Amino acid sequence: MISGRPNNGWVIWFSLTIALLLSVAPMPGSAEIARPLWLGLVIAFWSLVLPHRGGLGAAFCFGLAQDVLAGTLFGQSALPLILIAFLVLSLQQRLRMFPLWQQSMVLLVVLGLAQLVQLWLNTLTGNRPPTLLFLVPVPVSALLWPWVYVALQGLRQRFAVY
Amino acid sequence: MRLLVFVVLCVVLMVVDARFDALKTVRSQMGLVLTPFYWVADMPVRIWRGATEQIASSSSLMAENEKLKAEALLMQRRLQKLAMLTEQNVRLRELLNSAALVDDKVIVAELIGLDPNPFTHRILIDKGEKDGVFMGQPVLDASGLMGQVVEVLPYAARVLLLTDVTHSIPVQVNRNGLRAIAVGTGNPDYLELRHVAETADVKAGDLLVSSGLGQRFPSGYPVAQVTEVVHGSGQPFAIVRAVPTAMLNRSRYLMLVFSDSRTPEERAADAAEAQADADQKAAAEGAEAAAPAPAAEAEAETSDSEQAPAASSSTAVSEEAQ
Repeated sequence: MISGRPNNGWVIWFSLTIALLLSVAPMPGSAEIARPLWLGLVIAFWSLVLPHRGGLGAAFCFGLAQDVLAGTLFGQSALPLILIAFLVLSLQQRLRMFPLWQQSMVLLVVLGLAQLVQLWLNTLTGNRPPTLLFLVPVPVSALLWPWVYVALQGLRQRFAVY
Repeated sequence: MRLLVFVVLCVVLMVVDARFDALKTVRSQMGLVLTPFYWVADMPVRIWRGATEQIASSSSLMAENEKLKAEALLMQRRLQKLAMLTEQNVRLRELLNSAALVDDKVIVAELIGLDPNPFTHRILIDKGEKDGVFMGQPVLDASGLMGQVVEVLPYAARVLLLTDVTHSIPVQVNRNGLRAIAVGTGNPDYLELRHVAETADVKAGDLLVSSGLGQRFPSGYPVAQVTEVVHGSGQPFAIVRAVPTAMLNRSRYLMLVFSDSRTPEERAADAAEAQADADQKAAAEGAEAAAPAPAAEAEAETSDSEQAPAASSSTAVSEEAQ
């Protein structure tokens, strides 16, 4: 592992901000249901490649920001994000050895769990989705993972973020 | 360990946010910073619309201009008639001794974002606390009621649409005044009327207007049009479906209504005060100025409330039912 002083932290925050932007970007009517979990994907990436840079804190901050944007209770989308960060951090040593498609498979499960937690929280606040369609973003995000990984890895190497 | 800390923090925040008002200011401050996100996210749509307008051919613009002129003419004709009808309505209401309908004030807002959660029907508009928007404020578009404000940020507000599963609105059938509650179904295409008796006089094609009984929406605005009435389906009540008249998922420009937000008691107190003032003035002006007194009295009465027409219409309905 490369060790060194943390640098270029703004790249991490910038990518998370873009993910936040994408998570509220307008989408054509029926595609809305399949909106990928952008924040979850980016959080998972940074927890995976730079586990020492505090994935949980970033997940918490951006979760709160997303709560304000979506008008949900504080912590309602932060909790699933923290869960994603934690699971990826604890699986990190094994995940790094996997090829991309296998990482996708693991993320399918991780994001699915996060989405289930989201469902419970939504149900507690009296807003239960009527069908299983709330799980559609999970496979979509898992399919997007290799591309997100390659793009962010390129960004990371370009700006030499350690 | 750190996971535990963050999870507990999240849960505490959720409970505090759900039960107390303590986080309202934090939320509005964060909203101030985060509202531009919606602007930026909406930018491509804006640019696209701007571009199409720029490159629209002059002939199509001319055609549109013609159409708008014709429309304006038609509207003006209707307006002339409306002035007469309003006058007549006021006079008839005076005869009936009920308060005049108050004309509502509106401001126009633009849609800047949709809720990212596809299972809720909420939108974000570009007017907020700084423009005087308040919680529970009714929102209209050109053709009917759209919903109400559920969250106010400094420069934006969140609007819950009629079709959200958590929304319901008291309505009445325009044709005969039958009252009902229109409940959102989570489907953007229709509302359902709850607890409508099998024998109730509702037909497909009936217009439902807001009844104003919930004290939240002003009365008399179109809400939905009945499309389907299912009788004898083995259910205790008839199933009535209605299509919202507002273009819930198409309107970009909306209107925020400022109706009289005082409570009935406050209105009564204000009216009494105005009455007392008018009496004093009349007394001071003496016998030769006896004429203005009745006028002032009438004014005090009109400033009374919209409660009265709602009450009178509801009594009319119950009489009809018997």
